[in-house]
Formats: sequence, C-alpha cells, structure tokens
Amino acid sequence: MPHRSDKFNILITGVTTSIGRHLAQHLVENSKVGVVLGVSRQEKPYYFNDLPPDKFIYRTCDILKHRELSNLFLSRTFREAKINTVVHLAFKRKVTPSAYGHKINIQGTKALLEKCLEDGGIQKFIFKSSDVVYSIKPHNPVYLDETADLNFSPYTDQWVKDRVDADMICRSFMDNKSMNIVVLRMTNIIGRNLKNQLNAYFESKPIVKTMGFNPMINLLHMRDVIQAITLAIEKKSAKGIYNIAGADTAPISTFAELTGSPMISVPEPLLPTVNWVQRKLGLTDYYYSVDKDRQKFTSLLDDSKARRELGYKPQGRVEL
Amino acid sequence: MTPSQRKKAISLAKSLLPEDEFEHLMKIDFKDQGLGYDKFGMEKEMIVASLAVVRYVYLYYFRVESEGVHNIPEEGRGLIVPNHSGVIPIDGMMIGVDLAFNMRRPRIIRAMVDNFMGFLPFINVFFARCGQLVGARRNFADLLEADELITVFPEGAKGTGKLYKQRYNLLRFNVGFIELSLQYRAPIIPAAVIGAEEQAPMVYNVKPLARMLGFPYFPVTPFFPLLGPLGGLPMPVKYHLYYGEPMHLYEDYGPEAINDPNTIRMLADRVQMRVQEMVNKGLDERTSVFGFLEA
Repeated sequence: MPHRSDKFNILITGVTTSIGRHLAQHLVENSKVGVVLGVSRQEKPYYFNDLPPDKFIYRTCDILKHRELSNLFLSRTFREAKINTVVHLAFKRKVTPSAYGHKINIQGTKALLEKCLEDGGIQKFIFKSSDVVYSIKPHNPVYLDETADLNFSPYTDQWVKDRVDADMICRSFMDNKSMNIVVLRMTNIIGRNLKNQLNAYFESKPIVKTMGFNPMINLLHMRDVIQAITLAIEKKSAKGIYNIAGADTAPISTFAELTGSPMISVPEPLLPTVNWVQRKLGLTDYYYSVDKDRQKFTSLLDDSKARRELGYKPQGRVEL
Repeated sequence: MTPSQRKKAISLAKSLLPEDEFEHLMKIDFKDQGLGYDKFGMEKEMIVASLAVVRYVYLYYFRVESEGVHNIPEEGRGLIVPNHSGVIPIDGMMIGVDLAFNMRRPRIIRAMVDNFMGFLPFINVFFARCGQLVGARRNFADLLEADELITVFPEGAKGTGKLYKQRYNLLRFNVGFIELSLQYRAPIIPAAVIGAEEQAPMVYNVKPLARMLGFPYFPVTPFFPLLGPLGGLPMPVKYHLYYGEPMHLYEDYGPEAINDPNTIRMLADRVQMRVQEMVNKGLDERTSVFGFLEA
C-alpha cells in the first residue's frame, strides 16, 4: 500500500449509520483523503461494494469488546492505512432504553478515545454530538453558544444523559496535547431514512404538538452534516466544541405543515398518554419524554464559531 | 401561521387601517429567513395585524400623543430607555405602536419580556411572533448585533409594580443596558411615558401571594381584585410619550469601561436623571390625567 501519511487517513466508527454511509461515500471522492477505514458491528452491507477498494476498507468490530478494538488498532490494515483521524459515529440513536445503548454511548466512546491516545498516531478525534446536551429552559436566550449550560438534570431521560456524558468524556480528554478532539454539536438532522427523534416526530400520524407552544427549531440537512465533519477533518486548527446548525429555521408547526401530515395540539398533561397510545398503535416512533422541554421552548444553536473557525456555511435546504 | 392564516391577517389589517397607514406599515423592514420568520421568530403578518388592532387602543382608549419621534434613528441599532409602570406593562406596546405608525420609515421595536412569560402557553408564542424576546443578556446582544431597535426598561419588573404613592419616581436603574450600549456602540434614546403610572393605581402589593404564584407582584388596586378580571383593566388615562435626544455614551467611554463598575453605575444614573427630567417636564406640561377635555 502506498505511503499516505500526508493525506487524511480516516477511521469511521458506526459507518453503517446513515451519516457514516454518506460520509464514507463523500470522503472516498475527496482528493485530500487517503484511505477510509469503516468500522461497524455488522457484516459489510451491500452499498459499500460500489466504493473503490483502494480507498475504502470495511472491518467488522465491536468497540465495546476490548480485544476486538485492540485487534483493530494492531491490525495490519490499520497500520498500513496509517490512520491519523478518527470520526466517532457509533452511537445508539434509538431512544428505547437498553443496556447496550448505554454501554456503546458511554463506554464505547471512552474506550475508543483511550485507544486513540494509546496509539500515538491519531492526530484528530471527531465526535458527533447533538444539541440535546443543552439545558432547555424558558428563559434561555434564542441562540445558545458552546458555553451554554448543559443538561445535568437528574430527571432527564437516560438517552439524553448518555449523550451529555459522552460529550463530557470527550471534553475531559481535550487537554491532551497529542490529539485534537473536536466535538460537533449538531442540531436536528432531517432527511429520508434517518432514524432520529425529530424524523420520528415528523413521521407521526398525526403529529402531536404541545398546546400553547410553538418553539422555533432549526433543521440540518445531511449535506451540511457531511460538510461540517469534512471541515473538522481538513482544518488543522480545528479543536474544541462547535455548534452546527442548518439553514432552515421556523416554528415546529411550519415544518409539520410542510410534511403534509395532520397536526393536532394537545394540552401538556395529556401528552405522555397520547404519545404512549400512538406508539402502541404503531403511529409513531417518537418518544415525547425525551423532548418535552424542546417541544415548548426555543433553543437554536449559534454556529458562529464553526462559521468563523471552520469556514462552515449551511447550504442544504429542507425537503420534507 | 399557515399561508391562509397569513392572508387573513393581512386582510384584517387592511380592513382596520386607512389605506395610507396600511401601505406605511407594510414597509416594515423584515429580515425573512426563508419560511416567513426572522431569525428570532418574528412574523411580519402577525406584527401587521397586531399593530392594526392595537392602533385602536392607542388612538381611542389611551389617546396617545408623542413628541420627538425624529430622535429615533431610522436605521441601525439603538436602545430606547423609558420609565416603566402601570401594573400591566402596556407602555412598551404604546411606544411600539407609536413608532411603527409615526416614523418616516416604520421600525419594529423589540422589547424584552419577563422570564415568566416563557412559561405561559399561547402568550409566549404571541410575544415571539411579535418580535418580543425573553430578557436574556444574550438576546440583547444578538438583537444589537442585528442592528435592531430595543426598548429597555432598566427599572425592571419592579417598575410596573410600583405603588401609586411612588408614581413617576423612578426606581434605581439596572446597569446592564449601559454595558450593552458601550460594548455594541448603541445610542441610548431616553424616553418618558406620562399617563401609564396612573392607569392602575396599586395601593398594596400582596407579596406572599405573588411569591406563591411566581409573579413579580400581586396588585391591589381600587378595582382589582374587587371587580374580578374586569378590575384588572387599565383606566383610560391619556398617554404622552416623549423621546429625547440620543445619548452617544460610547463616544466618551470605550468598551473597556464595562469593567469599571463605578463608571457603569455613574452612566446609568446619568441616563436615569435624564429620563426623570423628561418625566418631570411631561408632568408639568400635562393638564389632566384622563385628558377627556383636552382638544
């Protein structure tokens, strides 16, 4: 294999996620990228067969298993690829409570970070975080920057707690001099075949809104997700936490109208029951308990730091 | 609002306003982000319809008269700093209507609302669509960065909860607006609102009840709670609004002055004294509280 240390040789964990798949497809076409090593627990999916084998390598690895992770870092493929950048996307997106979800979100992130530091050759670690880490309060400003309060409430849903903890784990390693850690806190990513809370919300039949509230939300297009991660890879100075927001901002009801689905407003005390009934009837995959404050109060991300330091500029417009 | 609701809102405004005033209002500078809202959640159709409705209150209930509108900058950032009073804070709304209809180029005045407004269903949405935001410091900064005109009430919620015997005696100003003015080089336009301090004469504040309900005060007026919700309506006092010459404090004090608490305090006191002067002058010129017999 040719020497590629002058290029970005990238390990992507969770490459079979929607973001991972799009990112891998984008990066193999990037001339600044040498090799992309995609890692996931699953066997290689068919859609990766189209990618050029000299630029994209797929490996099965469960990052929760110490031996599998060690073997990956010691493997000939890893060594020859001279991996210098890691993009960590292996995160459980489904909100349903599970012990595995908690482990992969917390222990998986920590184990991977430790392994990257141990390796010595990794110069950058990019973690895709989310805006759910922020504490949402009625007296919050409209725009939250990277210094805004995080959600440490004990009453928060476990899934959100995991996201906050994973974000905090990355922060705790940021003092390290040998590796730049970049945390990208992204707002709601919207698009087809994406399994996240907001997509599930807009796919609900009907869409149920908290009566008397209509917060502004911001939607992020997959194209901008890829743009932000690519910039974080390419910008040598990229380090620290960056908010990533999309180009479209409007009240939640406006986006709901764009989907064409019916929308009803329900008084707040009834929402948990209505959501439970909808889930039982298979009318939604959305978990209200995770998002109850975000259903009421506006909290948009201020992405000026990413625009200034990374050159990020959202371009994708929402097609619901 | 849906597209059909927007059309209805505009038709409502058109039916309520004389043609020239409707045309004037439609010239409002509005920075649409692409889906009919500005970056803070304001919606032009909601603003236009609300102003058209509130204009009747402005013209026929409070019979507002104003002086010094030419002192308000037609473009660029600025802080309008008036006295605050009236139990129900209508003073900011009257300033907003006055400037929307009387400025050569109509501008939407932003005001900061109390934190507890964010909790209130429907009301929080209405305020946001009308461009009014919760009074977080970051919101102030973002609005000034966006070259908006903001009404600031440095007396805070305590101002609206003043007792009748304290009327027109300004409470000590908070200093945050001075810091913002210096940091963002925003001129301060002192303003006086005459009339509002008599619209709901508060004779007693039931503090324990206010604390229990999470309100800044719980007023007892000659009519409230005696007459129930009806007693909460403000009396039809006559409003007089005065806008003073802009104070460009940032020309003498750079942004580094915000680190000196004594300078900031002194400047806040200076603005307060200017507003108090204007209030006193307005009171001297006023002939009656209700002004029904005025021409």
